[in-house]
Amino acid sequence: MKCTWLDWHRLDFVGAGILLLIAVGLPLAMEDRFFLNLLFLVFLYAGLASAWNLLGGYAGQFSLGHTAFFGIGAYSSTILYTFSGVSPWLGLCVGVVLSLTLAFLISYPVFRLRGVFFAMATIAMGETVRIVLLWSREKVGLPYGISINFEPGFLNMIFSNTRGYAWLGGAFMLLTTAICYLMTRSRAGFYLKALRDNEDAAQAVGIDLRRYKLTAFLLSAGLTSVGGTLMAQYVLYIEPATVFNITISIDLALMTILGGIGTIFGPLIGAAITLPLQEFLKDWLGPFGAGAHLVVYALILIGIVMLLPEGVMGLLRKLRPESRGQRHA
Amino acid sequence: MLEVQNVERRFGGLIAVNDVSMKVAEGEIVALIGPNGAGKTTLFNVIAGVLPPNRGTVSYQGRSITGLGSARISHLGLARTFQIPQLFTSMTALETATIGALSRTRSISEAREIAAQVLEVVGLSDRQHDRCTTLTISGKKRLEIARALATRPKMILLDEVMAGLNLPEVHRLLDLIRKLREDGMTILLVEHNIEAVLNVADRIVVLDQGQKIADGPPREVLTEKRVVSAYLGDDYVLA
Repeated sequence: MKCTWLDWHRLDFVGAGILLLIAVGLPLAMEDRFFLNLLFLVFLYAGLASAWNLLGGYAGQFSLGHTAFFGIGAYSSTILYTFSGVSPWLGLCVGVVLSLTLAFLISYPVFRLRGVFFAMATIAMGETVRIVLLWSREKVGLPYGISINFEPGFLNMIFSNTRGYAWLGGAFMLLTTAICYLMTRSRAGFYLKALRDNEDAAQAVGIDLRRYKLTAFLLSAGLTSVGGTLMAQYVLYIEPATVFNITISIDLALMTILGGIGTIFGPLIGAAITLPLQEFLKDWLGPFGAGAHLVVYALILIGIVMLLPEGVMGLLRKLRPESRGQRHA
Repeated sequence: MLEVQNVERRFGGLIAVNDVSMKVAEGEIVALIGPNGAGKTTLFNVIAGVLPPNRGTVSYQGRSITGLGSARISHLGLARTFQIPQLFTSMTALETATIGALSRTRSISEAREIAAQVLEVVGLSDRQHDRCTTLTISGKKRLEIARALATRPKMILLDEVMAGLNLPEVHRLLDLIRKLREDGMTILLVEHNIEAVLNVADRIVVLDQGQKIADGPPREVLTEKRVVSAYLGDDYVLA
């Protein structure tokens, strides 16, 4: 991906600066463990949603199978660490390699499908990985859930202070956002938007559809796998029912759409809205019975999507339609 | 420049294009015409690489492009437009043309310059920052041409570019086509509008029911008995 650095807008520097400040500064400004935990989750999911956005937003390939890469990331590092003592940083790399391999192999059948059919095929992929794991678990004698021993240390990717996790999440968010940004500034990013808008026209101007879709898929899958490892090291306990849960895929799509699909900041905004909203509703509506907060949460999401069909970023764009040469006649 | 040899394309039992051969020389404007269902669009799609032929070959600049696929054909310098404009709906006119130019350069800023140039050529400079969906039909068709030109082709295939345009718009488009040829472009037009074609084409190829029934200079071809009967029915053929 060759980029034209001269194309940097002043606003891009401002955006990068603010993001850096949030990722590094916000954990420092917080003391309360509740908020630091929430901050880690927001950062992690912001990164994951950005990674989903590479494929689902820019390339327009609506995947609901990202759970598979998340789970592979979580399991690779955890198994290597708890049973062989391999550093989770290395386990993270192993997870990425496995996820890339799966993404590459599965790309042959799924890229033949468009729209809902692509989404359905990716759901099947996620479920297959989960079922294969459950089946092979019994063969090799792997316990259902795996606990990671709490031995703090940077090499172990375990932190005694929640602030350490918040920074880890922040770094992950910065990494994925930077990759998304470089993508939008490169030919690959332009091509992804083109093939999302119209595949026939994209081919007619010489765009190799498979090559660019695959690029987006690999980047997206690899980053999602990294997020899976981070989550495992944070929770210190994994089981198939949680790390291979399809709700992860749905949440990533939801956050991205809510914030603004196909935009840099959309997934970040989406994560920053949905996770705190869920937490606070749980807190306030807890006394009214189990699940009450989910009902209200769902109603609020429906309301936002109806009012802002193009997400929060769509609203911001409408508020300043004349800027950046985006004149709509 | 372009050579089609004995191309046959079937859809199930229907033979849409039946053993058609034709040539386009460098710098020539050739029009492919015929009544509805004659197989024009099918032949066009075979040449552009969208449909592989069942039989026969297509070659461009001396090398076979049969079944090569539209992306690679575009890289060889053979560009196309679509009958119903196929635009990148989320983009502005400039961005749309930039996508075309990116097939020749990796640099976004360089591609944007090329895009601005081709928009100038087709007369869309003043609308370059408008979303392409807001353009008129004529504007969309010219944007299709701009995007194709941005890939720096040596030959361009135009699929019914005049369809849906009013008379002044048709004349502007004909001027554009002539200008392109003066700059050395080879052009193959698939057209319904015979009158427009008469004024611009060097040669006309007529298809009827999948077969080539005439090939020659416009005035001669249009007086041929088989052509008149294909379009108007046997009653109109002058004795």
